Formats: sequence, C-alpha cells, structure tokens
Amino acid sequence: MSMSLIQVIGASFGYEAQEIFQNLHFQVEKGEIFCLLGPNGCGKTTLLDCILGVRRLNSGKILLDGQELNSFRSGQIARYIAYVPQSHERTFPYTVMDIVKMGRAAYTGRFSAPSKLDKAIAREALEMVGLIHLRHRPYTQLSGGEAQLVMVARALAQKTPIIIMDEPTAHLDFKHELEVLETMVELVNDSQIAIIMATHFPNHAFYFENKKLPTRVALMHDHNFLELGRPSEVIGEENMKTLYRVNTRLISCATGERNELKQLVPISTIS
Amino acid sequence: MGITKKKIIYLLLIIAPLLCIFVSLFIGRYPLSIDEVIYILWCKMLQLPCEVLDIKQTIVWDIRLPRAILGALVGGCLAISGAAFQGLFRNPLVSSGILGVSSGAGFGAALAIVMFSAVSSATYIFAFVFGTLAVLLSYLIGKVYDTTPTIMLVLGGVIVSSVFSALISLLKYVADPYQQLPAIVFWLMGSLATARYSDIVAAGLPMMVGIAGLLAIRWRINVLSMGDKEAHTLGVNLAVDKGLVIISATLATAAAVSVSGIIGWVGLVIPHICRMLVGNDNRVLIPASLSMGACFLILVDDLGRVITGSEMPLGILTALVGGPFFVWLLKKTKGGNW
Repeated sequence: MSMSLIQVIGASFGYEAQEIFQNLHFQVEKGEIFCLLGPNGCGKTTLLDCILGVRRLNSGKILLDGQELNSFRSGQIARYIAYVPQSHERTFPYTVMDIVKMGRAAYTGRFSAPSKLDKAIAREALEMVGLIHLRHRPYTQLSGGEAQLVMVARALAQKTPIIIMDEPTAHLDFKHELEVLETMVELVNDSQIAIIMATHFPNHAFYFENKKLPTRVALMHDHNFLELGRPSEVIGEENMKTLYRVNTRLISCATGERNELKQLVPISTIS
Repeated sequence: MGITKKKIIYLLLIIAPLLCIFVSLFIGRYPLSIDEVIYILWCKMLQLPCEVLDIKQTIVWDIRLPRAILGALVGGCLAISGAAFQGLFRNPLVSSGILGVSSGAGFGAALAIVMFSAVSSATYIFAFVFGTLAVLLSYLIGKVYDTTPTIMLVLGGVIVSSVFSALISLLKYVADPYQQLPAIVFWLMGSLATARYSDIVAAGLPMMVGIAGLLAIRWRINVLSMGDKEAHTLGVNLAVDKGLVIISATLATAAAVSVSGIIGWVGLVIPHICRMLVGNDNRVLIPASLSMGACFLILVDDLGRVITGSEMPLGILTALVGGPFFVWLLKKTKGGNW
C-alpha cells in the first residue's frame, strides 16, 4: 500500500477559551486538489498552519509520507510542502527573480546563497507560471494577479510534492482569478503536484472537477467536517444553507461536447 | 556581463573605504604633501627609520590613521547592522539602534563617567556591556511563548530604549555639572577624536565578528524579510537565524558605539542610500552598506576637521551632512524603485 502524502488523524486545535476544530480525519493523495470550504473564521487557515508546522495540534497527529510532522525540522517540511500565502505584504522591492530564488532556501546552507542550479530551477518555475519576462522587475510594481503568480512560482521552486494555497485568488480581478486557477490545473496535470487550497468559492471546486482533475472538497462547519467528497456530491443547495446560511441554485452550462461546468448561484441570505 | 559587473561592484566596495582612509591622512590643520605621507606610511609599515619631522610622523601614523580606521569600522558597523535590522524587521524605518543598543551603551558610558569621574577605559567597557544587555532585555521582553514575533521584539526595543534614556537623564541630573555632565553630553554626541590603536584592537574584535556574521548570513536576511510565517514555510529555522542576525548586529553596534559614542543617522540612511544604488538584494546590499557606511563616516569626520577649528561632535555632522545628501540622491534617482 502506498503512503498518502498527508494523513491527518484525529486532529484537534483550540485556544484556551475557544475550540477551533476537533477530531478531523482526512488524507491527501498525489496529484489531487483538496479544497477546504467554509465561512470566515471556521478554522481553514488554522488547519493549514498546523499542516505547515506553524502551529501545533492540541491532540491528534499529522503524518507526512507516513512520518510524524513533529519529527520534521522546518527545512525538511519546506522540501515537502510549499506555501502560497493569502496576502503577501510587499515590503522591499526585490526583483521577481530574487523572490522566486527564495524558494530554494531549504536547499541552501545558512551561510551560502542560491547556486547556478537553484537559479535555473527558479527560471523554470517562472516559465511555468508564464512570468519569465518580468524576472528583472521589482515585484512591488506588479499587479495583484502577477504578484500572486510570483508566489506560486516561488512555491514551485521549492520542488515539493504538495503546495498549500490559502485563498490564492483573494483580491484578484475576474481574469487574474481565472489565470491562477488555470495555472493550478497545469501544475497538477504536468507535475502531479497535490494542492491543498482554502477557498471561499464553491465554484472553484466545480472548475477543477470540470477540468477532470481528481478533486475533493471538505466542508468545514461547527468545528468539524460537515461532508468530505467529490464536488458534485457535496456542494449542493442544502449544504450551502447549512454552511453559509445562503439560498443557492445549482445550475450547469455546457462548455464543450459531453462536458458541462456546474455553478452555484447565490440567491439570498437566510436571516 | 552580469559576472563582470558584479566583480566591478565588489572591487569598488573594497577600494572606496581604503581610498577614503588615504585621503583623510591629508586632511587637517597641519598640511602634508603626498610624498611625505606615502614616505611615512612606507617606513612605518616596514619599521624603517623615518627621516621626517617627528611631529609629522605622529600626525600621520598616530593621529590621522587610527582615527580614519576607527571611523571606517564604526561607520561600517552602524550601516551594516542597520541594513540587517531593516531586513529582519521588514521595516525600512528601523536603524541599528532598534533593540536599544545605543541607549543601553549611552547609559553604560554615563554610569562609568559618574562613577569614575572622567572618561576612561571603563567607559568603553560599561558602554559595551550595557549596550549588549539592553538588546538581551529587549529579546527577553519580546519572547512570548517559545517564539519571538518581530513586532514583540520591536516593542521590547522601544521599551528598553525609553527606560535607558530615562536612566541617562537621571544620571545627567545627578552628575557633577562642571566635569561629569559635559563629559556625558559630549560622549553622547559621538566623536572619533580620541581614537588610538588600542581602541581599534579592543573594539575591533567584536566588530569584526559581527561584520563577518552578517556578511555570512546575508542571503538568509532576504528570506527572513518575508516575515516569520513565510520564512518558516521556506525552510528557515527562525530561532537560530534571527538569533544569529541579532547577535552579529549587536556585537558590531555595541562595539562601535562604545568607542565612538552615539552617532545617529548612519545606521538608518546609509542602507537606504545603498538600496537606491545597488538594489534591495541583501547579498549586495549588506556589503555595500558596510563599505558606504565606512566611507561616509570617514568623510564626515574629515569635514568636521576642516570646517571647524574645534572638534565638532560627529553625531551633529552626520545628520547635517547626511540629510541634504539623502534628499539630493532621492531627487536624482527618483528613489530608484524605492
């Protein structure tokens, strides 16, 4: 039996006065997209932080490739899981290339700098997201969508089997959102990377399903998973009522021969 | 092209401070010719008998040279630490004194002056010890749970700085107003006038260790400047790497402040000037700040010797010269991408 990339077993986390999630079980397999869906404050980011080793579970365990996460050093985790932040505060105007090269930190000694090989890997990552022409530009001058793709390229440069993305399309406009999603599809198709993604948009999961990617959705609700399964199985009008207290209508439109894209249309909130 | 350009930049960074040191041997009220200076340097270095007036030998070898070397070290240390801290704290307004090292050292010096009634070697030692202690205190205050979030470190630095500033005021208040108070005030304003080789030897070791540490870890500062969470997910051991940067910068700054007094401005603005000139990649920025800080302080000190007969405190001049220069450069480069 092959090991799952990530196995989460009975994971619980909470602060002293407040429980965030309790007894979660799931695993993430190679080449799949795992979407975390749930309202603001339901603990999506906290769960991701635990998987990244930024926070520690109160109880339960997380296995990376069968080994307990707590036994990994940060450098080892960074060679296994890369992270694309939700919003990245751009302080210093580093060039795009400088940013992507930072993805090689886990492979670079404390007292050295990225090698020629690292630079080549960073170039390749920029080519994959289609931004190689911007490599000498200060990343503070890029649009929000381009900057997000630079973060994706930095994660790719880490050469990990898993990338975690926390609401990767937040703050992006109509087109840039789609660009990021398209890039994600290419990554999973071309490199068999697994992506764990927190998102606010149920339609993202439908988008990946429509692209024939192995996609699963976990609905986070009331400290636990309301449901976990294929987008078509778990994203529906009833579950959206429970999850968001929103009335929705599920529609479907043809996007080609024998291929249709499901979409959830929000109608009204339930007071 | 990239390789040769890089080599040229590094070569310039090494040559520039040496050139500044050399130039400053001619500057002062006692005029010397090029031949004389080179001859004195030559025979002193090879320990040959010098056939020049003793006073000239003393001026070049025992006064101007150590002063220039110390200026280079102090300026370099302040600027390199400032650049490192700006990256570490992800804040361009941070300077080398952010964790309280300057006010700690100032307190140490003032305490020594009050206790021993004059500036002595105890002043240096006290300044260094209290400067280091102040940073340690800031670090302990910033340490919540097992981690040291950047914002808490800054807060720790602010608290420690203001406490030590208050203590400095207290010492000024109780100091003898005819001897000790002027000594404290003058010390706090910064000066290289008393530079001797013994100062260079004593303070040089921690300075060199600090500089070497920052030069070695400089690419990691790029990664640290992504913030704690991202740096962690990029594979950085935050406790170790942050600790190394803080220790190195503290050694360099505390040693610099203890021999020169408090010289503001260099640790804040020199890194910015370098950002405009060479960009923000710490691989180049850190050595550039070292070199530029060294040049800047030597030249400002030279200027001080030329424009006033008496010794104008360096802390005043650095700001008076640096401010307009910074504005000029800002206009000229339109801020670079900055």
